[in-house]
Amino acid sequence: MNLPAGVRNYTYASDMAIFRTKTHWAMLLLLFVLLFTAPLYFGNHWLSVANLIGITIIAAIGLNILTGYCGQLSIGHAGFIAVGAYTSAVLTNRFELPFLVGLISAGLLAGLVGMIFGIPSVRVKGFYLAISTIAAQLIIIWVIEHWTSVTGGFDGIRVPPAEIFGIEFVSQGSQFYLIVVILIMVVFFATNLARTRTGRAFVAIRDNDLAAEVMGINLFRYKLLAFFIGCFLAGIAGSLLAHWTGFMSAENFHISDSILYIGMIIIGGLGKSVGPIFGVLFIRLLQQGITYIAPSLESTFNLTAGFTTGLGPIILGLVIILFLIIEPRGLAHRWQLFKASYRLWPFSY
Amino acid sequence: MDELLQYTVTGLTVGMVYALIALGFVLIWKSSGVANLALGQLVLLFSWFTYGMLEQRGLSVWLALILVILFALALGWVIERFILRPLIAQPILSLITITLGVAYLIEGVVTFIWPKSVAGMPHIFPQNTVHIGSAVVSMEYLLAAAISLVLFILLSLYFKYSRMGIAMRATADDQLAVQACGIPVTKIFSRSWMFACVLAAVGGVLMSSIGGISYGLVETGLKSFSVVILGGLDSFLGAIIAGPIIGLAENIGGGFLTPHMWAGIKDIIPFVIIVIVMLIKPYGLFGEERIERI
Repeated sequence: MNLPAGVRNYTYASDMAIFRTKTHWAMLLLLFVLLFTAPLYFGNHWLSVANLIGITIIAAIGLNILTGYCGQLSIGHAGFIAVGAYTSAVLTNRFELPFLVGLISAGLLAGLVGMIFGIPSVRVKGFYLAISTIAAQLIIIWVIEHWTSVTGGFDGIRVPPAEIFGIEFVSQGSQFYLIVVILIMVVFFATNLARTRTGRAFVAIRDNDLAAEVMGINLFRYKLLAFFIGCFLAGIAGSLLAHWTGFMSAENFHISDSILYIGMIIIGGLGKSVGPIFGVLFIRLLQQGITYIAPSLESTFNLTAGFTTGLGPIILGLVIILFLIIEPRGLAHRWQLFKASYRLWPFSY
Repeated sequence: MDELLQYTVTGLTVGMVYALIALGFVLIWKSSGVANLALGQLVLLFSWFTYGMLEQRGLSVWLALILVILFALALGWVIERFILRPLIAQPILSLITITLGVAYLIEGVVTFIWPKSVAGMPHIFPQNTVHIGSAVVSMEYLLAAAISLVLFILLSLYFKYSRMGIAMRATADDQLAVQACGIPVTKIFSRSWMFACVLAAVGGVLMSSIGGISYGLVETGLKSFSVVILGGLDSFLGAIIAGPIIGLAENIGGGFLTPHMWAGIKDIIPFVIIVIVMLIKPYGLFGEERIERI
């Protein structure tokens, strides 16, 4: 079912390969060509949407590793992204360090904070962990709002544009390249992580932690590692977000954003490497559609002023609920079904 | 010393309301094993609904309160029947996230219908103040605490003597055995959601009549999670005892720490308590400790 008709594998390496056929490689090449020429056909608006999607995918991949693979529910992802964003902002703005230093230390610090709040995961799971990550979210945002001397508090903080070896990433197009390159690295890392010893340990912990421990997996180490990797990617995404918007305030990292990230990976498909990509594309494009359509609906039908702001959460909440009830395996599963039927077409029996 | 007494009285009364909301959580958790993270948003929704009935429709207080209770019952039934029931026997991850979806939905509905983010609740309770020793306490606080206490007693009587209440306790104990006895478990689930919504509604009305309606009510709901965690997830007694403790910690700690720390320390204390409890005694004061070495 996973292979086109007539393709056989003779070695382990070819069996494990992600890209197996010439068509696969051609499609990959086509995707790269399309991605790297995208600024030529997209206008500024759609480029900024693409940038936001890219950043969100990086964060969602982090959450997918933590929640999808390792099964540790985190409702504080926006908080961890905020840690990364503010680390990078403070380092580049107040200490005038180079962007790359900010980026890496944003990831490391977010990972560290994630690990600290992940410590309870060693003793508790499920709902308890969800609550302690909610607490993490609220505590982090509270610290950011009140530690005025460093973070600027409610006034926010300006962030200089990203700069690597003298190249400044100011326009949406140049930032698109920066984000896409990092995104490709992250996708490559995440897809391969799932197939390593570490990734399999994560999946074992998710499926049955007791059995995993009996098999010799050090739960403490691997759970904290999952928190570190997940929050590291959140920090990277936060840093990119900070340099992309150029201005940070704690309002960008509300608890409802954390819920939205959970929604994204569920809609995409938990524990699938393509899941976050589908989920983020779906949600962010849906949000674009809503912001495009809501004001005109509001003026045409004379609706209340809350329509535009309220419609987004209503639709997104409904989408999360419906996906959980109707298709809990997410879009990734649908994609799998589509590929299977495409391969067997027209003789699908 | 006066300050301390003042903080204590305020803390105890506010804590009682937290405990009331937390009780709704424990109810659902015990009977169906669902963690209802939409608690804060439910509190917000019911407060706005009360506001809508009182201020916008101009109904009398009693009629409005009855309508709010009926609305809470109906909403609880709808949520259980159409959102939670299709997910029976799904992993806990889905059960938690679907309540997050509900939270998101409710937040949208609230902004949709009541776009202004802040409003003062019309006064339901008498405004005069009472002197306890040297502390001055508004009647609202005392009434809030009294109503919470009455509801606790009613609920515990219900669980002790009513047929349905006993069935609910039995479901919490052993779902399979209850089904074998012929008790409709789904009915118990929906009953527990209805009760929880009513508790959230009462808690919301009490909180908003004290402090007005704002997005902070969602945080009130979130704060009641710290009550749940401290008291133990599956313990009514735990919730009732932990509520005032959280209220006291919040008010006394906030009152005395504010001059030395960043302002607003009060709002974060319950969440710090969550983290501390989670690290030291994750199953809370009265929670059932499942011996599970992981």
